[in-house]
Amino acid sequence: MKVKIKSWHGVASWLWVANDENCGICRMAFNGCCPDCKVPGDDCPLVWGQCSHCFHMHCILKWLNSQQVQQHCPMCRQEWKFKE
Amino acid sequence: MAVRPLGGGECSHLMWKCHALSGSFFKAFCVKNLPLVVVSQALAPEPADVPLEEDLHAAVEVLRAHGLHSALEEWFLEVLQMDLQTRISPEFWSGVSQCENTAEEAQSSLLMLDAFSLLWRRLEPYLRSLALMEGWTQEGLLLGTGAQPLRAKVHSLLRAVLFFSTPHGFGEMVRQFYGRSFKIYMWRKRSRESRTSEGESGMSEDHQAESEEEEEGLGVPPRTGSQCAGCGCQRERCWCLTAVEHFQQLNSILQRLNLLELVSADAVTSILHQMIEERMERRCQGEYERSFLSEFHEWIEKVIGWLSQVFLQSDSGTSPSPEANRTFKRWRCHVQMFFYRQYASMRIEELFSIIRDFPESKPAVEDLKYCLERTSQRQQLLSSLKSALETRLLHPGVSTSDIITLYISAIKALRELDPSMVILEVACEPIRKYLRTREDTVRQIVAGLTGEAEGSSDLASELSKADPVTLENGQESEDDASDPEDWVPDPVDADPGKLSSKRRSSDIISLLVSIYGSKDLINEYRNLLADRLLHQFSYSTEREIRNVELMKLRFGEAQMHYCEVMLKDMADSRRINANIRDEEQKLPEEERPLFDLTATILSSEFWPPLKEEKLELPEEIKEAMEAYSKKYEKLKAMRTLNWKPHLGLVNLEVELADRTLALSVSSVHAAIILHFQSKEVWTLEELSEVLKVPETPLRRKMTLWVQQGVLREEPPGTFTVIEEQQKDRAEKVVLIDSDEEGDSATASQADQKEEELQVFWAYIQAMLTNLESLSLERIHSMLKLFVMTGPMVTEPDLQELQGFLQKKVRDQQLTYTGGVYRLPKSGT
Repeated sequence: MKVKIKSWHGVASWLWVANDENCGICRMAFNGCCPDCKVPGDDCPLVWGQCSHCFHMHCILKWLNSQQVQQHCPMCRQEWKFKE
Repeated sequence: MAVRPLGGGECSHLMWKCHALSGSFFKAFCVKNLPLVVVSQALAPEPADVPLEEDLHAAVEVLRAHGLHSALEEWFLEVLQMDLQTRISPEFWSGVSQCENTAEEAQSSLLMLDAFSLLWRRLEPYLRSLALMEGWTQEGLLLGTGAQPLRAKVHSLLRAVLFFSTPHGFGEMVRQFYGRSFKIYMWRKRSRESRTSEGESGMSEDHQAESEEEEEGLGVPPRTGSQCAGCGCQRERCWCLTAVEHFQQLNSILQRLNLLELVSADAVTSILHQMIEERMERRCQGEYERSFLSEFHEWIEKVIGWLSQVFLQSDSGTSPSPEANRTFKRWRCHVQMFFYRQYASMRIEELFSIIRDFPESKPAVEDLKYCLERTSQRQQLLSSLKSALETRLLHPGVSTSDIITLYISAIKALRELDPSMVILEVACEPIRKYLRTREDTVRQIVAGLTGEAEGSSDLASELSKADPVTLENGQESEDDASDPEDWVPDPVDADPGKLSSKRRSSDIISLLVSIYGSKDLINEYRNLLADRLLHQFSYSTEREIRNVELMKLRFGEAQMHYCEVMLKDMADSRRINANIRDEEQKLPEEERPLFDLTATILSSEFWPPLKEEKLELPEEIKEAMEAYSKKYEKLKAMRTLNWKPHLGLVNLEVELADRTLALSVSSVHAAIILHFQSKEVWTLEELSEVLKVPETPLRRKMTLWVQQGVLREEPPGTFTVIEEQQKDRAEKVVLIDSDEEGDSATASQADQKEEELQVFWAYIQAMLTNLESLSLERIHSMLKLFVMTGPMVTEPDLQELQGFLQKKVRDQQLTYTGGVYRLPKSGT
């Protein structure tokens, strides 16, 4: 007997490769989106800092904009630099 | 004696007075040679020598001169009463009993008339005297009889003495008499009408149908048979005309004696009621598709024509008295009212069926509305409809979708019937309550909304109606509602706690949705949508997009957000697949994958929780998925895929020695058959081991292949490939377990609930560790005390908790003895 697969339609869910489940700022799941967004994924991406912490991009930008003097990671208080 | 014209004391006083004055009294009369003329002449059966009015007048003057005029009226009444009691009444009743003994109708009708004519002859002189005396009273010759005029006294005397006791059959006789005249009247009227219409344009179809029906009702076909439809006798002996004459004479006698209503009211009422009821039953019972009101109005006008013969003697030519006019008016109202009541009652009885047939039965609803406005039968309607609903609809034998369909037509019909929506609200409360107890209600409503439900497309079309009322801000502010002039108060049975504007804005969907609240509904819709998207792998989502857009208009953007993301996932998946396909096309031939792997990629946060099932796919598939994931990761930085191996659709070809099968199967089925490539014989146990699927569900999945004739189970528990089809075996029928509850990709409601309760499990364990044993109620109340409930965690109800704990007992995580739960002793 031989079985020939012509096509296989599978189901998968996508997830961010991050070391945490929720965004430390908005407390929403990374796989969801930040409170201001409607659609997850491409429209509400994650960004990583050099300190290895990651956030919704919109969340961390808002945070950084609100900082007057120096820009720190809200989790570890190190200076925030985007990971290249 | 029911009524005496004079009190006893007064009477004896009078007698005494008469005695005292008798000498001069008689002298006076003797002189004038008019001894008690008023009386004696009146008493004489032969009114041959009626005294002249002047003579009588003179006699009264004499009496007046002697101061006796005050006794005259009382004495008149006495004499009348005596005469009635001793002579007139027995005579009359013996006449009546005579006609009672006559079998033939025409004969008895004549005898009855005779009896009444005799009565009239006897009483006529009295009435003449009465008129005279009334004249004298007006002239001031007599004193009058106080508050009650003499005429009224005479009338009540007549009524009291004559009809003090009526023989048993009298009412029946009168009824027969009037019934006959009614029939004759109606028949003659009809034949006259049909003759005129024949003369004009030939008989219209309607008319023909009508008269046919009517004749049927009377049981006598007049044209063809030898009997007259009016009197029911042989044609040659038809006595219709005589009957009409009798009828008119009797009515005028009764009218003159002021006995008309007393004698005929019962008979007329019962005839009319019977006729109306019969006609209604014959004509409109079970017939909802046309309005009967105007037809009945016409008919009732005819009936009223007959009534006018009774009460106005309209054919006699004299103009009726105002009193007769009043009576007639009263009767007219009565007949119309009776008709409305009767019609409304009938329609109320049938309301359930009317609702069931609604758009077709609209005329019946409008009729009923018209009648209800005139009668006060709302309460009757409510209770009757409620009980009809309960006995005919709200029982386990009716499917939920039928209940919903009926509820929808009830909304439509009752909206028509009562624009204030109060009837709808009150009568349909039981339906709503009942629907809440059905598990599949939400699913059915959602199915209806998306046009899935078989049969009714009502909801779907309602959904796509333009300008829907959004549910969130459905009630507009009070002031801009409408012109204050048009304001109508709520009916008395309205629930004062609810705003009328809210009630009035009710449209079908919001009413249905409010059974549960939109949150449940949206959740259910989401589940349904997820199911649909995961089962059709074609990415064609136009219909779903349309539905979601329509529902967004109803329920607001926010509610439908999740569904939108789900649909977007489908579109994104298509794009990603196309991308990856393009990549593959660029690869050299040999590096291309063995088969075409496409994927539906979900944003897990936005989909309802999917059923978690374990399934270990064959290596080659896993590798392909791995490769796909790699490409995805390249496409979307920092993201990866989590495959759901148990979901999916596989197109495959099974090549056997003598045949090839092309099939579309689920991934589990595919995984099973793939394993048979490497090894021809597998036991269930082995397969279960490899696939990591428990044996019971696995066996169920195997049946597909057994049924397709690819595998055979022999001995039980061992499956072998059938390379070459054996003719004799092919006929073996394998019953498939059609109970494919695995069909739904989303976790069932019960599973989700259990998931929710799992939150409490840690608390329960802690409680039992500290307190050893607890009853169900204690656990429940302690949970209520200590566990914070938020938007995500809702308080469990007692039954759910019990179910959950029972399951834990079955899983041996708890023990239940003597009404208390304990943790099982560790180590044992």
